[in-house]
Parts: sequence; C-alpha cells; structure tokens
Amino acid sequence: MTTTATPRASASSNTPPTLRSARTTRQRIRRALPLYAAISPFYLLFAVFGLFPILFSIVLSFMDWDGMGEISFVGLAQYQYLLADTRFWNAVGNTFIIWFLSTVPMLFLAMVIAFLLHQNIRFTKFYRVAFFLPNVTSMVAMAIVFGSVFSDTFGLVNSALTALGLDTVPWLSSPWGIKFTIAMMVIWRFTGYNAIIYLAGLQAVPTDLYDSAKVDGASLPQVFFRITIPMMRPIILFTVITSTIGGLSLFTEPQVLLGDSGGAGEAGMTIVLYQYNQAFTQFDFGYGSAIAWALFLIAAVFAVINWRLVSGRGDSVQPRPSRTTTKEARR
Amino acid sequence: MTTRTARGGHWQPPPGRLSRRTAMLGAGILPFALASCGSDPSISADPDELVMWYWNRSASPELLAQAAEQIPGTDRHVRADVVGTNFDTKLRTSLAGDAYIPDITYINSNNALYFTNEDLFLDLGELGADSVQDDFYEWKWNLGMTPKGRFCFFPLDIGPTGFFYRQDIFDQAGLPSSPEEVGAATTTWEDWIALGVELRGAADSAMVNDAQTVFEGFLNASPERYFDTDDTPLYLQPDSAVRQAWDTTVSAIQADVTARIPRDRGTDQNAAWSSGRTSGNISAAWWAQILQESAPDTAGAWRLADQPVRPGNNGGSFAALPHTCKDPDAALSFLTWINNPQNQALAYEDVQLFPSTPASFDALSYSGEFFGEQDPLEFFSTAAESVPTSFISTWETLIGGSFTFEIGNVETAGKDPEQAWEDALAQAQKVLTKRGVLS
Amino acid sequence: MTALAPVPRTDTAVGTGAGPERPMNAHYVARGRIARAITHVCVVIGVLLSVFPFYWLVVMSTSTTAEIFGFPPKLTPGTSFVENVTNVLTSVDLLQALMNTLIVSASCAVLVMFFDSLAAFAFAKYDFPGKKVLFILLIATMLVPGSLSLVPSFILMSEIGWVGTLQALIVPGAANAFGIFLLRQMAAGSVPDELIESARIDGAGFFRTYWRIGVPMLRGGLAFLGIFTFITAWNDYVWPLIILVDPERQTLQTALQNLNSLYLTDYGMVMAGALISVLPLIGVFIIGSRHFIANIAAGAIKG
Repeated sequence: MTTTATPRASASSNTPPTLRSARTTRQRIRRALPLYAAISPFYLLFAVFGLFPILFSIVLSFMDWDGMGEISFVGLAQYQYLLADTRFWNAVGNTFIIWFLSTVPMLFLAMVIAFLLHQNIRFTKFYRVAFFLPNVTSMVAMAIVFGSVFSDTFGLVNSALTALGLDTVPWLSSPWGIKFTIAMMVIWRFTGYNAIIYLAGLQAVPTDLYDSAKVDGASLPQVFFRITIPMMRPIILFTVITSTIGGLSLFTEPQVLLGDSGGAGEAGMTIVLYQYNQAFTQFDFGYGSAIAWALFLIAAVFAVINWRLVSGRGDSVQPRPSRTTTKEARR
Repeated sequence: MTTRTARGGHWQPPPGRLSRRTAMLGAGILPFALASCGSDPSISADPDELVMWYWNRSASPELLAQAAEQIPGTDRHVRADVVGTNFDTKLRTSLAGDAYIPDITYINSNNALYFTNEDLFLDLGELGADSVQDDFYEWKWNLGMTPKGRFCFFPLDIGPTGFFYRQDIFDQAGLPSSPEEVGAATTTWEDWIALGVELRGAADSAMVNDAQTVFEGFLNASPERYFDTDDTPLYLQPDSAVRQAWDTTVSAIQADVTARIPRDRGTDQNAAWSSGRTSGNISAAWWAQILQESAPDTAGAWRLADQPVRPGNNGGSFAALPHTCKDPDAALSFLTWINNPQNQALAYEDVQLFPSTPASFDALSYSGEFFGEQDPLEFFSTAAESVPTSFISTWETLIGGSFTFEIGNVETAGKDPEQAWEDALAQAQKVLTKRGVLS
Repeated sequence: MTALAPVPRTDTAVGTGAGPERPMNAHYVARGRIARAITHVCVVIGVLLSVFPFYWLVVMSTSTTAEIFGFPPKLTPGTSFVENVTNVLTSVDLLQALMNTLIVSASCAVLVMFFDSLAAFAFAKYDFPGKKVLFILLIATMLVPGSLSLVPSFILMSEIGWVGTLQALIVPGAANAFGIFLLRQMAAGSVPDELIESARIDGAGFFRTYWRIGVPMLRGGLAFLGIFTFITAWNDYVWPLIILVDPERQTLQTALQNLNSLYLTDYGMVMAGALISVLPLIGVFIIGSRHFIANIAAGAIKG
C-alpha cells in the first residue's frame, strides 16, 4: 500500500507527453493497482451475481418459456412480435408522458425544498423527517390512501371540487386523469427523496459563496439560481439520470393504483408493468425478456440524451473545484 | 398437449429441447455450474418431515398442530410454512430451479395455470386418491383433473355463489325483498336486470359494483366456458356461453344496474356498499365473512338469494404433491385426512373454509344474525349441490382477462360494445397464436 | 479536464472579496423577512402533503378493518391499536424477524458505504487506464432490467448452497452502481484536487488519502447512501421471499406479508404491522440525517 497513486492532476499535466510510451502505460497500470483494487468489489460482485442472470435473460428473449416448463428456441420471433405489438407501444407512450409529468416538477420542487431546508429556518429537523416520510410509508397503506383521495365517486379531491361548485374529475377512469394521478403519486413519493440527495450535496457547497452573495444583497431566488444550481450540477446530473431510469421503469405506482391491467383503456400501463404482466400474469417469460431488453435500449438512448442536455457541451460533469472551495475545505 | 412456440402454429425445429436447468446454466459460463453435482436440495433435511406451503387461514391451525406431531396412520409429520403474497412466484421459482421444492403445496383456484406443466406434479389417482372421491362434490373433484385426465389437484374448500343483497334497501324501494321473492323474481338474467332497473329508479342504487361481476357471475355458473379439454376455442362459436355472458353484461351496463366501480378500487367498492349506493353482489360463500368484517354496521340487512339460472363456483383452492415429494403416500394420507368431512367441518368452524365434502354440513350449524334469520350455511350448501361441472383451461387463464378488461372499458369508458368484443377477440387471437394454440 | 469552474458569473459578484464583517443593509433584512414568511408557508404546505398519508397509516393501524373501509372515511385515530399490535405479535415472531432484518440492512448499508465510496473516490479523483470504459459499464448496469432474474438468481444461490441464508440477501448487493455514481458526483464537486495533490506530496497512498480526505468530505453523501441502502434492504420483499425457506429465518417483510390471508385479511393488523416496520426507519433517518448539515455549523446563511 506504499504505492503512490496518481492523482489526476499530476497524471495529465505533470507528465511530459514524450514519456507516454507503451512502457509507461504498463507502469501506469502498475501504479494504478490500488485504484483497481478500490473499484473491484463492484465488478467482482457483478461478475458473480449479476452476469449470469443478465446473460440468461438475453438468451431467454430468443426463447419461448412459461417460467417453469421446457424452453424452446424461437429466434427473433419475440422481437418481431414486439415491434408490431400496439399494447407495447401504448405502454411506451404512457411511460414517457408520466415520466415528463412527474420528473420535471419533482426535481424542481426537490431542489427548492432542499434549498429552503438548507437555510437555517426553524424546525428544519422536523421538516426533514416530514419530507422523508413518503419514502417509507408502506405501499399497502398508500394504495388505500390514494384510492380514497382520488376516487371518482367518493374521493376527497372530488368532494372538495363539488363543495367548491366545480365539476368533478374522473381521476381514475379517464386517460389523462389516470396519468396525472400516477404522476402525482410519483411526485409525492420521490420529491423528499431527491430533496435529501440535494441537501446532502448542498452541504458541500462552500459557505463563503453564500456569505458574500448575501452581503451583496442578493435575494434568495438570486442565490438559488446563480449559486446553488451551478454548484449542484454534478448532483443534478445524478438525479436526472436516476430519475430517468426510475421513471422509465415505473411500476409500483400504477400497479398499486390500478392493478395489473393498467386501468381503463390501459391508460396507466407502463413498460415495466406490461413486462410484469407478460411474465407474471401471462407467464410468457420469453416475451417479458424481449420487452426488458427493448426498455434497456430505450433507456440507454434516453439517458445519453439527458446526460448531454444536463452536463452541457463538453465534459463539465466534474466541475473543477474553484479556489474558494479549496480555501473552505482547508479550514 | 399442445406444442407451444412463439410464432403461430408453425413448429420451428428447435436445436434440441433443453431442460430448464441445462439451458439456464448454459446461459452463464460459471465455474460452479461445472462443479454442480445435480443434487436437488430439499427444504427440510429431516427424512420424516414433509414441508407444506400454504396461506394464512387456508388450513385449520388445530389440525396442522396435530399433523406437526404425526400424520395419522403414518410415521411422518408435517411442517407447515406460511407463504404470504406472491405464492405462485415462489412456487414456480422453486419448481423451475428444481430445488427447495415443498413436499406438499396448496394451490389457489388458478390451478389450471399448472396444467401445461402437470408432469411436475404427481397423479394422485395413481396413488389411490379415488377411494375418497365419493365424499366430495363431483364438480369440485373434476376441477382437479388435468386435460390429460390425471388427477393432480386435491380439493380443499369451495366457493358456491349466490346473490347477496341489502334487504332494507330493496324493501324501501318497494321491491320483492325476501330471499324467496327475490330468487323467484330473478330466475333469468333478463329478470334480474329488470329488477335492477326498478331498484335504480326507486332507490338510485346499483345491483352490483361492476360489470365484471355480472360477466363472471354468468360464466361461473355455466357448464361451458372458454375452451374444452381439446383446446377448442368454444368462445368463437356463435351463441357461445362467453358471448351470452357478454351480451347479458352489456345489457346490464346499458340498463345502468352496475355502479361502474371496477374491482381494483377496493376502497371505493366498500364505500359503495356501506353507503347503499350499491345494494348487492354476486359472490361466493367466502365473501360473507369478508362482508361481515368490513361492514359490521350493515349486519342484519343482508340476505342471500339464488342467482339467475343456477349457482356457480368462484374460488376455492387445491393441494398438490410436487414430483420431488419425499413420501407421496404419507403426503396423500395427510391430504385425505385433513380434508375428510369431519375435519373440513372443523376447519369451517376454525377458519371459515367452506367444505367441499357434503357430509361436513351434517356436523355444522350456523348461529349468527348477519343475514337475519337466514342461514348462509344452508343457503350455500344447497347451492353447492347444483353447481355445474365445467372445465377451466390454462388458456382461459391467459385470455379471460382480455374479455373482462374490455367489458370494463364498455362500462367505465363508454366504449362501443361491439368494438370492445372485437378487440377482446383480436387480443385473445394474438395471445393464442403467439402461444401456438391457434394458427 | 476542460471543466468550467461553476463560479457564478453574475452581478451578485461573488468573487469581489466583500468581507463577512460588512453589515447587512436594512433593505435586505426586510425583504428577507417576507421571503422567510413565504418560505415557511410553502414548506408547511409541503410538509402537510407529505405527512398526510403517513398520518393515515397511523389512523388505520389504530382502527378495525370495518373502520378502515367505512364510509365516510374516519380521519381520527381509533382505539384498536393495542389489539392490532397484539394480533401482529401473536401471528409473527417479530423479534426474530426484526433481528434478521437488522442484520441484513445494517450489513448492506455498511458494506455499500465502504465499497461504493472507495470506488467513487477512485473514479472521481484519479486517472487510470480503462477508467472511462469501466465507468460507462457501471452506468449501463443501472439500466439492466432486473425483474426477470429471479429464477437464474435462485438457481445460482441453490448451486452455491446459499438458499435460506442471510448472506444471500447481503453479499450480492454489497456494492452497487447507484451509490458509486452518486458519491462520484458528490466527490467531483466537493473534494478539491489541490488537497489530494498535497496529500500525494506528503507521501500518502490512495487508501490513506481516501480515508483522511475522501471519507470526511463525503459525509453527507455517505449518510444519504447508508440510510437509503438500509431502507431498501429493510423493505425488500420478493427476493427474500424466494430465498428464505426457513420459518425461523424470515425478514420483517416476509413475516408481515404472511399476515395476508387467502380470503379474509385483517387490515387493521396489517397496517399495525406496516407501522411497526416503518418506525425504525424513521429512527435511522433521524440519526443519519444529522450529517446532511454537518458543516453548516461553520456558517451557511445565518439568521
């Protein structure tokens, strides 16, 4: 463990380019051994426990299997069926609509909440716990609560609308009502969660940035948009990517709210709910696998687009810490 | 048995049919896959212990405690493990993995799902189960028979059905209200809908919560269902039972006698019953217990009437012995013992499982006021006598959902019934073609 | 590294070197007061919306099944809490299940925090051959669908003899892509390269630098990761259900799911069970979340 590891700065700037030969590459690898050791647990566990199920599910997508009996090879038939399956494409559309309806407000609200909680307002500790609660409230309870709140006939929301003399909304039987309600549920469950990620990130923002901004008379929104958001870019990127993956694999909320069928007209059928449906209610595991890999492709493309959008042009994923940061950290 | 491929009926020569396990291990190149010695671990190492999987309240705790000591007439004992939700996933996973399989397993009324893999279960007929056949309702016994004629699923409880209704609301609406009167006024589905129209007019209340109840109520009482044992799609024939059930349900929807509250909204359904917005339900004996627990305030107001045409069956579970069972004879002894008429009567008193052996009712009596002076035990045991024998196919469990889903669309989204029927047929066609049942 | 320093180029002129001693002007204070009032109102509304379903869970766990499904819904706690909890305790070996779940969740949390932060620190602050490819691979594994892996994973576990053991729930998840990605993003923004460079000059190796500089600076992120790994492991249901075959070795979730019956489920009891399983998580959160504001004490925006 006496090997001096190579911090990025020295590797890229201090080493003259002429010395970078094949020999030094080997040297670099040897020097980087502690780094490989540091990242190895994940890859080793993945190789042992993750790879086999993945290979299995790839193979399965070229097979016909009911999840229990014999397996038979069917070539590309599952994928051909998928391309022509209107139910699948309906699910893709629903997933994207719900993703958009939920992710944008969710991440924005989360950032606002984190920013507010980061201020030393009173009862911060209590608020933190309160915003965290949705993430642990049991889903059985959630199903009953949301059913009671958004019910078409007996729901609290519609009762309130009636009391105000407004028309009731068919939350759980119209295509947009269903999507909107699912999005509400996602926002409700994950805003606090993302806010807590942001809060954890905010503590790393050097405090003297805030101090000087405040002294200069900056308003809260100014501080928020001009200091917080830019400093939090790597964390925002993280939440965007994870919410993209999470949103595209949305499952629990529609299932809890509407059951396995996705509601009237399958308006709440998402890709993963459809996949679950095919594998665990239709027992068509081959097709379930094909759907899973189609989702993988869609998610990969979408994640790359999002990454590009959020991190902007070039590689600004890792903002080099400013001098101020360094000063702060050394205190 | 049908050959199933993903594409039509076109049988594609597969590169050799693989056993599940070989195929799975082949999919991953793993050192320990090679080291596998092929032993199939069992859950309990004790050779005298038979492990059984069941649900909470699906067997009498008292009897299980006895079997945990010793199965009468054998030198084995039973260890009963409760498996909660996702029972099928757990059972199927262990069967697919060919390891840690229970010696005895309970299976819900969806036992038809396992027909295509019936080889994984022992034929209880071969083991001598037939000797007790006469104790059971014939239609229930037949539901445990696979299309090949193997008897793999031993009868546990049953779910004979009837029309539950709120006598107080019927009374106030000036409708026939005693069980006899209601039964007599609704011997056909047309009459039942007509009565519903009167109820809607007089009390603004629905007969049932959703259209699916009517559709399934009709089919569960029909000797003909979606398929016959040769996989012939009966529902495609003109005037099939499925089509009749469909048309009846559509008339019920159009007559506004359903409350348009679909099943997946349990809270709403309960609210509808408690508030009187819905005055009835077509359901099975086991629903009486649920109703008593969830709406005790309505005690005394509910009655049971014969449903139109004849009673049906809804639910009721089975037990099966996986092929790996340690001691099939002892396991069957356990099943015949715990399900003999006397013990089923005990299980009814203990956990309200409705007996599948008529003789059990000799030992049972009902004392309760939830149905007023009416005796639900007598009602449902009488109903159980006239449940028709029918066949539930594996394929029905795969396509039945398309029909109930589309009837739901007609009810809640106002979809054109003919269009919905066509869509249900098309969806069923797609699924069955994909599975190689139809070409 | 062509990253732009995210120092805001704005008229608030962060870098003008204004000293903290400079007194705040009255205008700012007045505006601050109004802003803070609005802030409080918004936060309180958010809090009410967040807490409501949890409150309802409390109400349901103190009610009978009949009260839960009654109409109109009852919004105040009932009187059946003791009865419901008693029912849970007689149906489930709660203490045993709690112990097992605690072992699994705590082990997962500790292992994940350690392995993920090590990897994240290496990815964020060092260069090594193959880094980019390895990181893309890592992100890609997050996209891989997992729900169909039950059967092959089960076979794997039965081959190595881990069915029925707690390590089957701990080891496969001892390091995950999610945490590595999260901590790498946090480290990228908050651990200054200069500090690492000076540690190198002092002769500290990678692991020492990680321990001395990386871990302290990642406290908030680690606390978050620990809490949520704990929660995820605590609430996991389907995989434990498949893998645990011994009634004496159940987790809280598999034990509580057994309260559901074939026909008739006592929802009051189920909700009481759900509440019991949630309370420890709130405790873990309260303890862990202190670290989110670890260095605010140094001064953030005061008053």
